[in-house]
Amino acid sequence: MSGDDDGLRGALDRAAAYMLDATVLERIGIAIASTALALCIGLLIVAAAGHNPLLFANQLVIGSFGSERAVARTLTFSVLFVLAGIAVAIAFRAGVFNIGVQGQFIVGGFATVASIVSLAPYLPDGTVGGIVLMLVGTLAAVVAGGLYAALPGVLKAYGDANEIITTIMLNFIAIGFVGWLVAGRFSDPEATATRTERLPDNVGFPSVVFDDPNLSIVGIGATIAVVALIAVIMTRTSFGYDMVTSGHQESAATYSGVDAKRMIVSTMTLSGMVAGLTGAIFAIMIQGYFTDPSGIGNYGFDAIAVSLLAANNPVGVVPAGLLFGGLESAGSHIQINSDVPVQLIDGIVGLVVLFVAVPELFRMMAQRTGLGGDRE
Amino acid sequence: MTARKTPPAVRLESITKRFGDVVANDDVDFTLERGSIHALLGENGSGKTTLMSVLYGLYDQDEGTISVDGKPRTFDSPRDAMRAGVGMIHQHFQLVKPMTVLQNIVLGHEPTDNGLVDESAARAEIEEICSRYDFDVDQYLDTPVEELDLGAQQRVEIIKSLYRGAEILILDEPTAVLTPQEVERLMDVMNDLREDGHSLIFISHKLDEALTIADEITVLRDGEAIDTVRAEETTEQDLARMMVGREVLFDRLERETVPGEPALEVDGLRMHGDRGQEQVSSVDFTVREGEILGIAGVQGNGQSELVEGITGLRSVASGSVRFRGSDITGTSRRDRIEDGIAYIPEDRQTEGLVQEYSLVRNALLGNQTIEPYANGGMLDWTAVRDHAEEIIQEFDVHPPDADAGATSLSGGNQQKFIVGREIGHDPDVMVASHPTRGVDIGSIEFIHNRLIELRAEGLAIVVVSSKLEEIQKLADRIAVMYEGEFIDVVDPETVTEEELGLLMTGQRLEDEEGTGESESDRGVQA
Repeated sequence: MSGDDDGLRGALDRAAAYMLDATVLERIGIAIASTALALCIGLLIVAAAGHNPLLFANQLVIGSFGSERAVARTLTFSVLFVLAGIAVAIAFRAGVFNIGVQGQFIVGGFATVASIVSLAPYLPDGTVGGIVLMLVGTLAAVVAGGLYAALPGVLKAYGDANEIITTIMLNFIAIGFVGWLVAGRFSDPEATATRTERLPDNVGFPSVVFDDPNLSIVGIGATIAVVALIAVIMTRTSFGYDMVTSGHQESAATYSGVDAKRMIVSTMTLSGMVAGLTGAIFAIMIQGYFTDPSGIGNYGFDAIAVSLLAANNPVGVVPAGLLFGGLESAGSHIQINSDVPVQLIDGIVGLVVLFVAVPELFRMMAQRTGLGGDRE
Repeated sequence: MTARKTPPAVRLESITKRFGDVVANDDVDFTLERGSIHALLGENGSGKTTLMSVLYGLYDQDEGTISVDGKPRTFDSPRDAMRAGVGMIHQHFQLVKPMTVLQNIVLGHEPTDNGLVDESAARAEIEEICSRYDFDVDQYLDTPVEELDLGAQQRVEIIKSLYRGAEILILDEPTAVLTPQEVERLMDVMNDLREDGHSLIFISHKLDEALTIADEITVLRDGEAIDTVRAEETTEQDLARMMVGREVLFDRLERETVPGEPALEVDGLRMHGDRGQEQVSSVDFTVREGEILGIAGVQGNGQSELVEGITGLRSVASGSVRFRGSDITGTSRRDRIEDGIAYIPEDRQTEGLVQEYSLVRNALLGNQTIEPYANGGMLDWTAVRDHAEEIIQEFDVHPPDADAGATSLSGGNQQKFIVGREIGHDPDVMVASHPTRGVDIGSIEFIHNRLIELRAEGLAIVVVSSKLEEIQKLADRIAVMYEGEFIDVVDPETVTEEELGLLMTGQRLEDEEGTGESESDRGVQA
């Protein structure tokens, strides 16, 4: 309503216009400032709760990169956040809201363990057999994650079902179904916790750099390779141009010869494949078996914030993933080494997520709703 | 108009408005006399809308003063302008589409009764305004706006301003989206408003409309007011020269007839619209190499669907489309691009360009599978950039910067870029849908000349337009589309604008059977 510009709308318009005009550097600056502001407020809350905020800040630093162990732990989490963040970024860039990365990650991780455990008796022990098993397991994860994401893609493209709702529901189905298999058909009768059998000894990535059983150069390498591959696909291939154009302006993409329905399915599939790969690396590099998925960290959900923080740019996902990895790592350190309750730590991490995601979210909304005035 | 004692309705003195280094308005004077219509004429990007946005409180001027009814004013927002009785009808309507006409009109100014919206009071007031100006808006007060055609939506916008007490109305390119009949109707409305003492500013780049309706005409070019003239003392040629800065030709473009092989054959085509209703009913035509088929018609009579059927953007219900002899009815949009069917789309904002992309990235739109820009799925951005720079140079696109965003271009320049890109496909068939809608005169001339050149090079061209003079200027044959059918196919040399207007409203030409018959003989069934 042009005749009804009031203060709030005007302020929103100006803010939106600023965000839309912000350069990449300014946006990075905004992200850093948001993080700092969130941490400051977090420290105030820590103080208000009767804990020493300086000690807390100190623990935060030590816990994320204060020792070789902390760095290794940060990198371990970061691998998961970066990969899952890439999965989210692929879909968001194409204008498809895949909220089901968590479910695809679980399905993928379980497919890895299930296929390796089932095939292991038929393959020789030793390195060669191990490599074959890991390749098969990773492939199984990528296929399973891809298919599990293709399903909501097909439902959206050909059945007009909102992908946000279907992917969220499929998360629950993944947790329930994989949980049932882990507790039943695949459970390890000798284990006290609910989990599958351990992967055979010849399955596992070598650590090489850090002497940490949960972190491997193979995982880091695979992550960097996926980042590079997706960045190249998005910027240098016809498919990537089709995909990103669909996300910006679907009608223009259709005009240029993109089949919108097929693009939705392809995007979801690719996103799910990366989510599945994340699951494979989680299973092989970190767990070595698969536990009840309701107890697995919310990497697929946090990845949404990682991707938003990175403005859905695959390269930007790396620093964003490192930040989240660092926070997660610091959180687990503080939990053990101080009396700050775990809920408070989670709350502060949540605050950071909120602060860094909101500016980008606002920007995306402004783009979609035409806030910020006529962009001509 | 004679000399008046009352102060002018609006007086803008020495208005200068800069955006960074760009001077959008340079020391512009403008006076709107009370009870008159003043046309503000200029090409796209000449500063018309900027000047009016200053008046309407959307922008602050850098220099100069505004007075309304003789009183100096500063408007910080459209709300201030509205209070002073200045209303603006934007080119893109500011209506909430799912809400009813009544709700839209009263939105933000609802009459209340004990805190509740007093709908009957609102209804009575709107009906009063409608009867005063002979508007039909009161017939559909409870209809959602999205169900109205554009002409009716525009009348809703006008009523909305009047309802808020506007004495001075700014109409920003109000005819751009209207059919000829609707334009006539708008002109009547504007006349009635003038007679009732309202003062109107009519922003346009259409010379004939300005001459018909306005009392005075001010021409802007490159941000400067070139001159203000009285409408009865000037001609189209004079105005065009003032707008463009040089002589402009208006006549039908010369061409030689070189009919070649049939390039595009459409046979018994039936198509459905978005809601499943039949929009194209049994259309047949053939376009040969070196020929331009013009399709005229009131918007919404199936032209858009027909074009989408040819270009592969919409599936057909029955019938066939043949391209150079082979059936392409079932092929995808991408296949047809690769085959050589280029398409200047109806809506350059949503289809033809990705607004957030630079010109380089936009140069790839539609080319993403075509060599040399793509090879085995990989893109060659250097080749794309060269192509963008070629288009910019050859089609005189301003600003001449391949890294500029699409939104930084005026409508005319955006369109030139699209035309350049589509011609760059080296196509055999060109489908141009409203190729000059919202485009300035200089660019119109340029685009028309290019289309005629393509015709000479042996392309088969289909031009869809609601501008009759454009169709008459370009086409070798004119098909008039009405309710999904070709009601007639006529010769542009002999048909009059009145006859076309009648055909467009579904009335067959009874006394001139000859026109239609002779065309049918040339292989086209109406």
